[in-house]
Amino acid sequence: MKDKDIMIKINNVSMKFNLGVEKGFSLKEGFVNLFDPKYHKKRKEIKKKNEFWALSDIDFDIKKGEVVGLIGSNGAGKSTLLKIVSGVMKPTKGSVKVYGNICPMIELGAGFDQDLTARENIYLNGAIMGYSKSFLDSKFKEIVEFSELEEFLDVPVKNFSSGMIARLAFSVATIVEPEVLIVDEILSVGDIAFQAKSEEKMLSMITGGTTVLYVSHSLESIKKLCDRVIWIDKGKIRKIGGIDVCDEYQEAVKG
Amino acid sequence: MKNIINSIKKYKFLLYQLVSRDFKVKYKRSVLGVLWSLLYPVLTMSVMALVFSNMFKVSMPNVNYLVYLMTGLVIFNYYSEASNLSMSSVVSNFSLINKVYIPKYIFPLSKCLFVGINFILTLIPLYAIILITGVPLNINHLLLPFAFICLFLFTLGMGFILSTVAVFLRDMFYIYGVMITLWMYMTPIMYDFAMIPAKFQLIFKLNPLYWIIYFARSIILYNEIPSLNVWIYCLGFALVFLLIGMYVFKKNQDKFIYYV
Repeated sequence: MKDKDIMIKINNVSMKFNLGVEKGFSLKEGFVNLFDPKYHKKRKEIKKKNEFWALSDIDFDIKKGEVVGLIGSNGAGKSTLLKIVSGVMKPTKGSVKVYGNICPMIELGAGFDQDLTARENIYLNGAIMGYSKSFLDSKFKEIVEFSELEEFLDVPVKNFSSGMIARLAFSVATIVEPEVLIVDEILSVGDIAFQAKSEEKMLSMITGGTTVLYVSHSLESIKKLCDRVIWIDKGKIRKIGGIDVCDEYQEAVKG
Repeated sequence: MKNIINSIKKYKFLLYQLVSRDFKVKYKRSVLGVLWSLLYPVLTMSVMALVFSNMFKVSMPNVNYLVYLMTGLVIFNYYSEASNLSMSSVVSNFSLINKVYIPKYIFPLSKCLFVGINFILTLIPLYAIILITGVPLNINHLLLPFAFICLFLFTLGMGFILSTVAVFLRDMFYIYGVMITLWMYMTPIMYDFAMIPAKFQLIFKLNPLYWIIYFARSIILYNEIPSLNVWIYCLGFALVFLLIGMYVFKKNQDKFIYYV
């Protein structure tokens, strides 16, 4: 395998969360602890206890054009891994390299501003995803057509129904043909007609020859779409293999 | 350095979008709209001028008090508003930071630029007052952009520091509110620096805004080119704070996501 065929390189990634971080430091606590001689020792112990390794030693590569599925139970670390690959989080240990432009379809419409119109939001959201003005200009018509929201272009998004917002967000997000696509569940949004349309669009993006990292709880669709399946269990890779990993996973869950 | 330039190039359009969003949202549903950028400073400053020149009888020899006050206020208001907005910019954009990769420095930067555009608009009423009150214009006004650039860089540096601190310590919003009030009275905006007792003067001179306002007033009121050390103080303070801010922000930005 030549190195240049690799699109995503994940090297011994570990991710530590500090569960106590929300509590932080408060004045009252600090004052009380001032009189506790064992405070420092205790604090260290608490810190240690609150450590949580969401991922440990995840290590795999994804080749160009491969569709890789991630499976595992809730809280296994799949979404954390996606966030690390898309650059939202930095891993505690290890490194991730992505060669090529990446389109993380993790959450739609994250950058929408309720006070702006649909037209303004298309540009804002596009800019957040890193597209240029000229690119958005050239794709603007296509986005609007796909969303079927022509009449509402100059209406502030806060007056939209949630289905309309989802349609708009989906249309903006899927306008590119990225080299690397990251998908957290196949998104089918809107009414029945649009659901079929958006699912078809997603499928064509996934099967269109791009490199895909795909998380889903639907083993059916994983089996249908993926070349390789990675089973993550409690932050560790339990198994890497073909689609038969799905069956093993299913059995383990049942058993 | 090359990385910074590349990333600014890539996210130039996003920066533009964020600034224009702020503008659109700010003036939504207001009848006078962007006109408020001109009216608001004029009206608030008129109130202050009225209070200070009539009730407290502040007067300055050989100087038009209104122009004196307004020069200081325009500069201080820029700092105050931009630093406040920058401080909350990272926290309030958390939903984005948590979902998409965006270079985080873009949030304080976009706020400083947004208020910067407002600042340029407030120069219109400032110059209107200068003309109306008959303070003579002079060629040295062309040197003023130097002070404005220093003001921007200093504010950006403070914006980086404040937004970082605010992520870890929400108390900062309140603390800074008090600080900025104190800061305003510690800056000779409505009074003459000469009124300050000699033993406190050094403290006042450690205030970067003092030097930026000093620079602008030398030109606008006294028709003088500021001496070399004033130039050095302005630029020096601006660069030092900018570098500290960049360092603090860069060092902590990967941890933001766990605290916001």
